[in-house]
Amino acid sequence: MAGCPVCEAPVLAGESYCEACGHALGAPACVSCGAAAVDAEGYCERCGLRQPTGRDHAETVLACGAAAVTDRGLRRPRNEDAVALLQAGGAVVAVVCDGVGSSPRADEASAAAAETAAAALARGASQAEAFELAARAVAKLATSVDDAPACTYVAAVAEGGTVTLGWAGDTRAYWLPRSSPAATPLTADDAVETGELTAWLGADAGEVRPRVRTLAPREPGLLLVCSDGLWRYLDGYAFPASGTPVEMARELLRHALDAGGQDNVTIALIPLGEVHG
Amino acid sequence: MAEQPAFTLTIDQNKYLPLDGREVHAVLTIGSTGTATTHAAPAEAAEVIIIDTSGSMSGEKIREARQAAVTAVRTLRDGVHFAVVAGTAAARVVFPRGDAGLVPANPATRAEAERAVNQLLAHGGTAMGEWLKLAGSLLTSRPSAIRHALLMTDGQNNERAGEFDAVLRQWSGTFVCDSLGIGADWVPAELRKVADAMLGTFDYVRDQGDLPEYFRRLTQASMSKTVAELSLRVWVPQAARLRFVKQVSPTLLDLTGKRTDVNPLTGEYPTGSWGAEEREYHLCVEVPPGQIGQEIRAGWVKLVRPDTQEVVASGNVLAQWTDDLAQSTQINRKVAHYTGQAELHELIQEGLGARAMGDVDTATARLAKARELAAESGREDTARLLEKVVEVDPVTGTARLRNQVDKTDVLELDTGSVRTSRLRKEGS
Repeated sequence: MAGCPVCEAPVLAGESYCEACGHALGAPACVSCGAAAVDAEGYCERCGLRQPTGRDHAETVLACGAAAVTDRGLRRPRNEDAVALLQAGGAVVAVVCDGVGSSPRADEASAAAAETAAAALARGASQAEAFELAARAVAKLATSVDDAPACTYVAAVAEGGTVTLGWAGDTRAYWLPRSSPAATPLTADDAVETGELTAWLGADAGEVRPRVRTLAPREPGLLLVCSDGLWRYLDGYAFPASGTPVEMARELLRHALDAGGQDNVTIALIPLGEVHG
Repeated sequence: MAEQPAFTLTIDQNKYLPLDGREVHAVLTIGSTGTATTHAAPAEAAEVIIIDTSGSMSGEKIREARQAAVTAVRTLRDGVHFAVVAGTAAARVVFPRGDAGLVPANPATRAEAERAVNQLLAHGGTAMGEWLKLAGSLLTSRPSAIRHALLMTDGQNNERAGEFDAVLRQWSGTFVCDSLGIGADWVPAELRKVADAMLGTFDYVRDQGDLPEYFRRLTQASMSKTVAELSLRVWVPQAARLRFVKQVSPTLLDLTGKRTDVNPLTGEYPTGSWGAEEREYHLCVEVPPGQIGQEIRAGWVKLVRPDTQEVVASGNVLAQWTDDLAQSTQINRKVAHYTGQAELHELIQEGLGARAMGDVDTATARLAKARELAAESGREDTARLLEKVVEVDPVTGTARLRNQVDKTDVLELDTGSVRTSRLRKEGS
């Protein structure tokens, strides 16, 4: 005879509820104390811990080798970054958005922006069109100007040796040439020197146009798209010289966490010019 | 059966804890909407009026008590089932006659009860526990009624403390008892015990002319109840400890000791009967150490009808660890306010206790501090009463007890300290 995970009263096999306390048996197990007692609100009914959600750590790997990793980091209660990585014909699309911490439901803003923009870009929309759709999706989340979820934005489309970028805010893209351990920044932040953003997506952002850039790297390498949870730790960092994109993304995440993990960390890597892994 | 009011439960707290933080504080505000109570038929009500007729009540005091009881009888509305009990070393029903139990109030029964009250004489011993026992057994004959007793006494009880406490424990939660202190030298200690155990109030009416108004208020409060009994059911995590549960508004009432275990993680605390009103509760949970960024539910609060197990409102008390001092050092305004009100109550009780024992230094220090706190927190009436007991030199700040103090001022200070002020709305 087993015991109820909450009140420890004996329960019989096959019963759906504990006779003593009414706890629904067969609930998901808590990641911390192990009790099968996680309720619908996501709290463990034995130790109280709020369970990590799917967004706390997620990885995506495409057939072409492109990979994305997003992680809550060490200091934030939840992951308000979002990433969408997908393949559409010969094109690889990556969108990274970072919820603005001072706005409400910033996690919803970044998720809406990344999904909307990636789907549009995969359909062949231009950077400006995709940005416009994402901005509208985020603005719709607001109930008023004082309750306006907001996020930053960077989108990359790699196709046939050409890369187009569109961005607003301080999420970034870098070029990592195969031949060198140093990274070349490809985007310029919409932010003042002290870090405050000057452009973002949200109902309180006013009319925002993305900055757009097209480039065609002449040598093989990796396109890195990331949130500030990674790039704030890149000063003087020597990028790993080998490994598949997903292995490198995990390595970069480890570096960000070892360096403090102050913020959510999101990394997307797209190989260009040769087949990786 | 009257229509049920709807309940709301809101939680005020700062959930952020520093890394070594173990204590989570929250103020629960529970409100019941008035629409159902004002339009619905009045709920069935049962009332027992208890008059202390022991020897210590002789003279002016028994006349005062008789007048109070007559006023109480007159304010009973038609249809309320009632009885009048006289208490000495034993308790006896003086109205209705015979073995009638409780009878409905109407002009004839009220007049007969009045006559019975006016014949009461004071002689004999005092055993308050016996009186409450008789009131309890009379009231339980109407199990679906809002059950209430009104006790009028000088508070001088000759019963053994253990016996009295046992009666209070046994009957606690089965009916609500409000007490009225009679005479200028009544003793608040026993009445405080009754109020705590029976979830009622104890009070003192200085001017006899104010008695009808006092009873009208009490009766109104009691008759406006539409839900006979609600419990606060509180869950805390396995490794946590519920340090206290206190009602903090409208009066201070520590419920911590009234816990009934539901299961190892959950306890139930009685809150008595409810009408259209708002009450606030302060709870404190000691949680196990956590990691940065981790969030836990530190308390899960449900307002429950014990008879049907129906949950009428619920809410979460949360805790989240952070190394951001700007977040973790903020104290929620409501938590701070009621912590201050509880402290004021303690200072007054300790100060008056020390004063009665002749410990001038402690009394002066506590009461002077209380005076300062009362003024700061907007308790002007309390500050004024404290001013009559302790004087503070405006220049040097030196405090000293006053020599000439009106006994009734001390009584009013003593009984009034359980009442708390509400927090003013932000910006007003």
